Amino acid sequence: MIIHVNEMYLLINYLISVIISMGIAICLGLPLVPEKPRRFSWTKSAVFPTPIIAFGLLALCYSAEFYWIYNGLALAIITGVVSSFFMKYLFNYVFPEPSVGDINE
Amino acid sequence: MNEIIGIIIAAIIAWINFVLIDTYFGLPEVPGVKGAGIIGRDIEKRGGNLSGGFFQGNILCSPDASAGTLLAPIGVMLLGVNGGILAAFLIYIGNRLCADPGYAGTIGALTATVWVVLLSFIGITPETFIVGMVIAITTIQGINHSWSSKLLGKIAQKMGKETNIN
Repeated sequence: MIIHVNEMYLLINYLISVIISMGIAICLGLPLVPEKPRRFSWTKSAVFPTPIIAFGLLALCYSAEFYWIYNGLALAIITGVVSSFFMKYLFNYVFPEPSVGDINE
Repeated sequence: MNEIIGIIIAAIIAWINFVLIDTYFGLPEVPGVKGAGIIGRDIEKRGGNLSGGFFQGNILCSPDASAGTLLAPIGVMLLGVNGGILAAFLIYIGNRLCADPGYAGTIGALTATVWVVLLSFIGITPETFIVGMVIAITTIQGINHSWSSKLLGKIAQKMGKETNIN
């Protein structure tokens, strides 16, 4: 068995982290979804990849068995907030978008 | 559960998971990088299908749903559910480093994590899923490129994701 009761709390924390990151990302002016065709879109949006960064950072902390306070809930809120601000202000610096000529040559 | 039956079930689920997600996210449509295009053209020259060739080139050149389906059970095996989610995050970073938007790889890893967790309830362990995924990817990349590219091309055609490039 993989899921225990304690891990159900962690799954709820992941959900909270995702919801907070998406909510703040929308408040910061990021679009909800990328423009069409979505599968080739490089636009950073609230749906993708903001939640990926949020639960990725949270998974990194939980994998290192660092839960801090309230069974990891405080960490979930912090990663949600940090990931949305990271998406808005730092993402393009860390993961620059390749120019069109480089992609389809 | 019997190990052999478990591996067969895991291989079928892993195959469906990565082929459908990769096809949906447009891997057969365009070669993401130059290497994928070269592999696609080479497979076509050897009697294969160009859409299937682009698919095979793309999964070789960047971590797409195939890598996600393999790395997620490895993560779950090592660190539980957290490991599967961490694998999705690392695959996203890997995708961005390969100049890929990252939709297929990330979503493939997340769905594979869900599959591994669900299959654990009927006695299929993450280790079994890893073996199943290795068999699944061997059927695509390791047996006969022209045969597998034709199959992938047909699936792409059915899903409306065929390439327009000649």
